[in-house]
Amino acid sequence: MKAASNLEHVLRSGAFAVTGELGPPKNGNPEVVREKARLLKGVVDAANITDCQTAIVRMSSLTAGLIALSEGVEPVMQMTCRDRNRIGMQSDLLGASALGLKNLLCITGDHQKFGNHPQSKGVFDMDSIQMLGMVRAMRDEKRFQCGEAIKEAEPRFFLGAAANPFADPFEYRPIRLGKKVAAGADFIQTQIIYNVEKFARFMEMVRDLGLHEKAFILAGVTPPKSLGMARYMKYNVPGLDVPDGILSRLRDAKDQREEGIEIAVDIIRQVREIPGVAGVHIMAIEWEQAVAEIASRAGLLPRPAYQNVVPVLVSEATIEEAVATAKKEVEDALAHEIDRAKAEAQASRDLVAREKERVQSELTGLRKDLAAAREDVRSREAELGRMKEELLKTRQELLERPMTTVSVQPSITPSLGPEGAGETLTPRERRVLKSISAGLDALRKGLGLSEDQFSAIRHFIEAELTIHAEVFPESRAVPTPISRPMESPLPEMAPAQAEAAAPAPPEVSPEDQERRKQVTRLIAKGNVSLQKRAAQEAMEAFDAALALDPGNQKARDGLARAKGLLPAAPQAVPTAGGGIPPCPPELTPEEWQRKWVIRLVARGNVALQKGDMEGARASFEEALRIEPENAKAKKGLAAVESGAAPPPAPSEARPEPLPVSEPPPSQPSAPKPEAMAAKPAPPEPKPAPPSPSPVGVPLAVGELPRESTSLAERAEGVDKGLYLDPASGAIRAVRIGDGPSAITVGGESALPFHLFEGEMPFPPRIAFEVLDSPPEDWPEVLTRHYSDVLADPAAWARKCVNEYGAKAICLSLVSTDPNGRNLSAGEGAKAAKSVLDAIDVPVVLWGCGNAEKDTETLREITSLIGSRKVCLSPLTDANFRNLGATAMALQLPVVAATPIDVNLAKQLNILLQNLGLPLENILMDPSIGAVGYGLEYTYSVMERIRLAALTQQDDKLQVPFVCNLGREVWKAKECKLPSDDVMGDQEKRGILMEAVTAATLLLAGGELLIMRHPTAVSLTETLIKSFM
Amino acid sequence: MTEGHSNIVGFCCNYAGRVSEEVLREAGLMPDGVRIERLPCTGRLEVTTLLDALEAGADAVFVAGCEEGTCHNLSGSHRAHKKVGVAKGILAELDMDPGLVEMFFVPRAETGPLVSAAREMASRVAGGKKGQRSER
Amino acid sequence: MIIAERKPLREILEMISGMEKVLVLGCRGCVAVCSAGGDAEVDVLASALKLGRKRQGKAIHIDKDTLVRQCDPEYLEPIKTLGREYDAVLSMACGVGVNFIADRCPGVNVLPAVNTSFFGANLSSGEWKEMCAGCGACVLHLTGGLCPVARCAKSLSNGPCGGSVGGRCEIDPNVSCVWNLIYDKLSELKRSEDMKEIMPIRDWRTAGHGGPRNRRREDLLP
Repeated sequence: MKAASNLEHVLRSGAFAVTGELGPPKNGNPEVVREKARLLKGVVDAANITDCQTAIVRMSSLTAGLIALSEGVEPVMQMTCRDRNRIGMQSDLLGASALGLKNLLCITGDHQKFGNHPQSKGVFDMDSIQMLGMVRAMRDEKRFQCGEAIKEAEPRFFLGAAANPFADPFEYRPIRLGKKVAAGADFIQTQIIYNVEKFARFMEMVRDLGLHEKAFILAGVTPPKSLGMARYMKYNVPGLDVPDGILSRLRDAKDQREEGIEIAVDIIRQVREIPGVAGVHIMAIEWEQAVAEIASRAGLLPRPAYQNVVPVLVSEATIEEAVATAKKEVEDALAHEIDRAKAEAQASRDLVAREKERVQSELTGLRKDLAAAREDVRSREAELGRMKEELLKTRQELLERPMTTVSVQPSITPSLGPEGAGETLTPRERRVLKSISAGLDALRKGLGLSEDQFSAIRHFIEAELTIHAEVFPESRAVPTPISRPMESPLPEMAPAQAEAAAPAPPEVSPEDQERRKQVTRLIAKGNVSLQKRAAQEAMEAFDAALALDPGNQKARDGLARAKGLLPAAPQAVPTAGGGIPPCPPELTPEEWQRKWVIRLVARGNVALQKGDMEGARASFEEALRIEPENAKAKKGLAAVESGAAPPPAPSEARPEPLPVSEPPPSQPSAPKPEAMAAKPAPPEPKPAPPSPSPVGVPLAVGELPRESTSLAERAEGVDKGLYLDPASGAIRAVRIGDGPSAITVGGESALPFHLFEGEMPFPPRIAFEVLDSPPEDWPEVLTRHYSDVLADPAAWARKCVNEYGAKAICLSLVSTDPNGRNLSAGEGAKAAKSVLDAIDVPVVLWGCGNAEKDTETLREITSLIGSRKVCLSPLTDANFRNLGATAMALQLPVVAATPIDVNLAKQLNILLQNLGLPLENILMDPSIGAVGYGLEYTYSVMERIRLAALTQQDDKLQVPFVCNLGREVWKAKECKLPSDDVMGDQEKRGILMEAVTAATLLLAGGELLIMRHPTAVSLTETLIKSFM
Repeated sequence: MTEGHSNIVGFCCNYAGRVSEEVLREAGLMPDGVRIERLPCTGRLEVTTLLDALEAGADAVFVAGCEEGTCHNLSGSHRAHKKVGVAKGILAELDMDPGLVEMFFVPRAETGPLVSAAREMASRVAGGKKGQRSER
Repeated sequence: MIIAERKPLREILEMISGMEKVLVLGCRGCVAVCSAGGDAEVDVLASALKLGRKRQGKAIHIDKDTLVRQCDPEYLEPIKTLGREYDAVLSMACGVGVNFIADRCPGVNVLPAVNTSFFGANLSSGEWKEMCAGCGACVLHLTGGLCPVARCAKSLSNGPCGGSVGGRCEIDPNVSCVWNLIYDKLSELKRSEDMKEIMPIRDWRTAGHGGPRNRRREDLLP
């Protein structure tokens, strides 16, 4: 025996134990505990006293346990780890032991979040398993948790722990139970069981571990009080498994409480069959009354006699109460005895009196009976005589007048009741009467008939007559009063229904309905127009709707919105010559006219700005028509006149395949940039159907006119200091490629093309971009030039060199991109090798942009290609070390790529130089944007870099620029939109985008351009040539 | 600033609504008191820019960025939208009407939506002022 | 890293009510990384406070500065003099920074602008999660690297409690049951046996229950 508690006795005796649960009150009233204890007394072997369950403040379990004990119920004190640290816990345990509490259930406790003080600090100094170990050590080793000895009475508890077979992970649950047993648990009470099947599986695992032999396992059972409670447990209590069968049992039950008790009883019966289950723990939450009922129905009563349930402390009041109770019991017993004797005496007296009375009344009765019998005989004789007489008389009359009517009647009717009285007899009735008389005749023979028998026959005849009477056509009685109330509401309902079903007043409704429909349709139409911002249409629709239904609010709102829209939707207004549109109601006509003129002028200005001379002219003229003196309109018109160099004759517009093989003769001094299509959107009329340009060279540019006189000559007489700002630094020249086809870029000591200020020994170069796999997002106008070679990078490169005269190739290793096709470095290298084998011109190898992959791929390539002086790119801050080392070893030029920033560019160059890479082998990719996509930003950054290099001797920036622009240009939306009237020919558009971007980058200092379209390349080369 | 005359700053993507605000105002389309600040991209916008504009006296501030999928910088207007969300949160914390900062997604080629955005903000400011008056 | 969160503006405005000159002081340490008190947040807070004060009709002068770290004395040096020029220094560093300024800068009125939340990891941009409680007695070698002290609502030592269902904690379905994770992790590492060991009661002194903690390393002391 660990603690010799009653529960321990019961369990060790091998009896199936029953424990209950007693929840202390949320106040200080001991009576609540007493009452609950009385309900459990004799029903359970021990009752668990919960410790602030669900973290709600209640009377302490120690105190309530003591009160229960004083009522003769053995408590199982529960203790959680939530509210006390090890000092408080051990202190309370000493106290509980001192007060005679012998069972302790150790649990971690519900988290404070679930209770009524969620703000409180959860202590959790230890967990339940550690607590078991601590309490066992106090009991068995007589030492506190710190190790210090407990010198005198150690607390002795029969130790319990909780287990939840339904929490996760399921397979771990028995193992955790084993930890509790190992830590000191003598008995286990499980979570509430509804899923018996799962519990059985749990028990199987428990048995496998032999735990049922080391600790007593009590199965937790709770009668569901209602369907609602069961549902709550199913869905809201974590770790509770309530099968649907339980819910449906409750749902179908007439009396849910009764069914709840039955469910609990069923579960007890089932778990009792599972080996290793030593008892049940019945938790009737706030329903302690049910425990006795459940225990009784489950055959668990009576409980073994209580042992050792002795409260250590009993209050004075309790003793007084006990004495009073005992005294009262004795008094009651005495009083009862006296009462009984008295009652017995009285009963004897009563009996004698009753017997006397009975004999007397019997005698009187007999006498009365005799007299009555005599009188009866007399009256019967008289009656029979009279009837005999009557029948004889009737018979006589019938025989006398056999076929006549009526005469029978008086003799019959009195005995047949009033039904037939006063009515003419039909032959049928007559036949009936005849039979009756025959019957009565027969009666004559049997005179021995009693009064009753006779009257029975009489009633039969009456009934027969009544039935036959109903056959007669007297149907006025048929509509019974019952059917009346059913009928009455009908006439009231019917018209209403009729009205609803079919139009009751049909002369009004169809019209009305049609009108309403039309109004709805009009409003819908108006709303659609509003959506389309067609204010005029919308207004018309709403006006029409209002004409039909002047009060319609939707139409009014719509009209107002349409009016509001009017100024915002100029396209809804006639363009020119249509006069002033109707004046909106909120303005006076003068105001409206003024506003309209302002609007026309504005529209004119917008058109002018867009280059739409004709539109502008129309707007201004219209404005002047309304207000001839309007200065702004006049000014605008004048601007149209002067600015419209090609006079407004659009019909003569001829499709002009963009600039020009030679400068137009009318403008001899036409500057070169114009030839380069510097005006991408000139007001010129478009070639109406943009038919695809012929494959090959859609834009041909001949040699551009060159300035033959030098600046010095032209500026003769001007002080050189005024226009010369010679550079103090120079850009390094970088050589790419091998042998005679090698190219050199950079080397200049002046701003781009400022040949009057310094040297520009090497012209800028253009490399054709070749992809290592067929491009996926190139527009057809671009791919068509390479359609035969797209799948073969070597052939592609060869075509560039042989057909388009490429001086260099940039091989983009796009297919190695890990986010794309993710070809291996080896495959990328193979493609590169094939290209290099196919051509002699210099090759720039451009990685996919993924730093790690590029390192891998480019290294792989360099190992394959021997001594070819390819240019490696891009080197970024993420991979410059590895690739820089490779380049240094093989003395290859590299491209240092940085995101469009002067300092970052410089920094990377410094890093590369620190690595040991000479600046003579470095080109810079400043990250560029296409025209319309950040070109201006690129330009300014490049310009700043170049100025720093040339005028501030910024050594680290004195390297040439690489501009990988083809890919930037051709991904722009403008290059992908198909040909149309507004945007013009797609290919021409793309070529110009690329050429203009290239031209701009040249002016910013670009030395090696990477481009795609052969025509764009040729345009750019022409430009370079003419500048040099 | 006089009552009834609103002072609104619109931060507008350079690519949205190409017509300049002067032209729009001259055409009677843009409400008075609306100033449009062009940005290379609304993604560049900072929360502080919005707050500072209000602190500097603007009655309301709005951002007009590109519609989804059309942003030049892919997600610029998306970022602007989030920044506007932060600014709205701050206004709410300061017991101010979060509606005084708003994000509008406008098509790149049209002017109408930009004008509607400006008008919407003007009417919010007007409504707010009216509300304040009636409170007093 | 230390995770922090800006205090509600109302609370900050309340702290500085009546003040006319305030320095908003950010920190480029943890709070910058978790976007609570770096340069960007300093800017936003300064703008918001100016706007808030303007709305109250009481304009305020606000300066902004950000230190490399507020928890190192050398970076704090300028604040000793600069801080006195202000009615208050509104520190956006974690509580360490605020304390350190208060300790080291006499005459400087330092106020906290953030709530220091926990030690966490950056799950993704804009999402952080507590991963360590700084308890000073690491048991991660026993638990597959997952911390039951920081990540279990009850700091249990011996496995998942009865509220663990489907890998979720009973206190909040969005919280994983760390003991379930530990169980899975140890199974994956073929160390399930470890789950049978009873872990002894912890010594919480190292977790701060033994008084404020400090650490000295003789070899590094000046």
